[in-house]
Amino acid sequence: MQARYLTSTALAAAVYAIGATLAIAQAPPGMSNIDKSDPKASKQDTNLRPHPTPPLATPAEKLPVDKIKLPAGFKAEVWSSGHPGARTMARGDKGTIFMGTRVIGRVYAITEKDGKREVKVLLQGLTQPNGLAFKDGSLYVFAINRVLRYDKIEESLDKAPEPVELTATYNLPPEIHHNWKYVDFGPDGKMYVQVGANCNICEINPGVHGQIRRYNADGTGMEIVARGVRNTVGFHWHPQTKELWFTDNGRDWAGNAGPEDELNRLPKGQEGANFGFPYCHANGVADPDVKRPNPCAGVVMPAATLGPHAAGLGIKFYTGKMFPANYQNVAFVARRGSWNREQKFGYDVVIARPQGNGKARIEPFLTGLLDNQKNEFYGRPTYVLEMPDGALLVSDEQNGAVYRISYAPQRSAAR
Amino acid sequence: MKRVPYLAPPAFALAALVLSALIGAGAPAFAQTMLFKDRVEQCAACHGADGNSTIENIPSLAGQPEFFVMNQLVLMREGVRPVEQMLPFVKDLTDPEIMALAAYFGMRTPRLEGTKPDPALAQRGQALSERLRCGSCHNQDFSGDQQMPRIAKQRIDYMAAAMRDYRDNKRKGADTAMSAVVFGLSDADIDALAHYAASK
Ligand code: HEC
Ligand code: HEC
Repeated sequence: MQARYLTSTALAAAVYAIGATLAIAQAPPGMSNIDKSDPKASKQDTNLRPHPTPPLATPAEKLPVDKIKLPAGFKAEVWSSGHPGARTMARGDKGTIFMGTRVIGRVYAITEKDGKREVKVLLQGLTQPNGLAFKDGSLYVFAINRVLRYDKIEESLDKAPEPVELTATYNLPPEIHHNWKYVDFGPDGKMYVQVGANCNICEINPGVHGQIRRYNADGTGMEIVARGVRNTVGFHWHPQTKELWFTDNGRDWAGNAGPEDELNRLPKGQEGANFGFPYCHANGVADPDVKRPNPCAGVVMPAATLGPHAAGLGIKFYTGKMFPANYQNVAFVARRGSWNREQKFGYDVVIARPQGNGKARIEPFLTGLLDNQKNEFYGRPTYVLEMPDGALLVSDEQNGAVYRISYAPQRSAAR
Repeated sequence: MKRVPYLAPPAFALAALVLSALIGAGAPAFAQTMLFKDRVEQCAACHGADGNSTIENIPSLAGQPEFFVMNQLVLMREGVRPVEQMLPFVKDLTDPEIMALAAYFGMRTPRLEGTKPDPALAQRGQALSERLRCGSCHNQDFSGDQQMPRIAKQRIDYMAAAMRDYRDNKRKGADTAMSAVVFGLSDADIDALAHYAASK
């Protein structure tokens, strides 16, 4: 079983099914989960720290929607507000938008009535319920180390029914850090689940941490589909190739310049492939603190890099009818924005345009929430969701709001 | 006194107004559950009259960043951080009361209570603190900032217990930042860090 710790893609793929069943929470002998970043080597401002997330929402009239800039023909408006910690969004069959959060511990249900949004606190007091997925009338809620299924949920939004507890079947590792979940059902009907590295930079056990897994909906049949993934907090499947694309947040305290966050593509047939953490980052950058020979051998390189400390989170490929034709099958990626960088970066939504060779080109889309001169931000886009009419919803965790991005062709006279 | 920067000026002014209106005269400016000074007395029974706790394992609140106290009270009210002894006091706190309490305790002067720091332990704690970058988040003088609590002059017993809780996944609803920091530390490491922080 030592083979599990080898990182050759082919080998990893061959043994992933066996390795997966032998999850051990501790690092293997000779490895350590203790953070390896070296404060003496880092040249960054030693006062960099995560930004606070307010537990109370910004009043509607104070939302920074006027600051948002978009390409010609696109418009941003406030879609809903007053729900602190707004992050993940999943749409029910009857149109309810379920919204997950982190520290505030709530799951919201947002419904539309007479063109207005009604926000309900559906669940409360959970530990970081960031992972939400909807299927066959049921809402799946992944809090840290807790998995719950609420059946026929859209029939009882005023009082959530008793959940079916799936925690034991999913049997996720207990570590807390980088373990707020992102989950979604794939085109194969399986539940895909994030399991982050429980450190900034350390030697994780690749049989346990730094993965994307997939399960049957009830939590049985676990398989590891990607390894060496530091912390993905968003993924989606290309509408045509059905390949899995996922964001991955790069390590901290190795400089203002990166290593950059990744947008990865899991090539078809390479389930179990290795994406490099902790030895190899971004486009083949060797880690300065956790070293080994040939750190990038057998590592799948990203489809694109997403910028230094950008915090690329939610990603969705667009298949709607509202936006112009050249937006078909491009991915929208929310970048929540940096903390471990002196000059702030991100706080926007970008487009990842697949190039047909497995790579993607990154272009700006939603900007204006970062003032580069003042080095200040006004909002933090976290997740995106395509609505049935083709509009795009963008959640803003900092302000507890959702913006709706719509498109109407401009008359040429207006140019 | 540190301002809570995300608060829009009117909201902040409101909190200050509540404070000045309620501490003395006690005329409620809007719907609230009880007089502000009675509220403060409730808290003082455990957290100390001037916000410096003389009771084992109960934290001092004096000089805490406003955002930290506000954030923790909201999380306690939500049930995300369930503190059994505090449940009766937090369940019906309003947002303006929370902001006023945060501002009130933020303005008190912190003073170390309880066990005195042991210089040898504190020295060991200092070396650990440099490796683990405590100062990057809690400020180099450990005075705290925003969601990061003041740990300078905090009770040693409380801090050691809090860090063990983070390490053992027992502090519910916490910011995950601390779980990462204390991962793999021994009880002795944690004691050393608590002695160092208290000594600052
Ligand atoms: C019966 C005793 C008791 C009373 C009364 C009480 N508290 Fe507490 N409080 C505690 C204890 C015990 C803790 C620490 C809990 C833990 O170990 O996590 C605490 C923690 C806190 C914290 C978190 C501080 C930190 O450093 O993590 C805040 C803020 C707080 N209390 C505010 C208040 C306020 C405001 C009031 C009055 C409305 C109040 N408390 C009343 C016992 C009390
Ligand atoms: C990445 C930022 C970060 C770093 C680094 C950090 N802390 Fe913290 N610390 C926090 C946050 C955020 C909290 C509040 C967490 C919560 O919600 O319970 C906290 C809480 C604490 C508490 C609980 C205090 C209380 O009043 O409840 C102690 C004690 C503490 N930290 C000590 C330390 C020590 C010692 C170090 C260095 C070994 C350290 N911290 C490093 C962010 C950090």
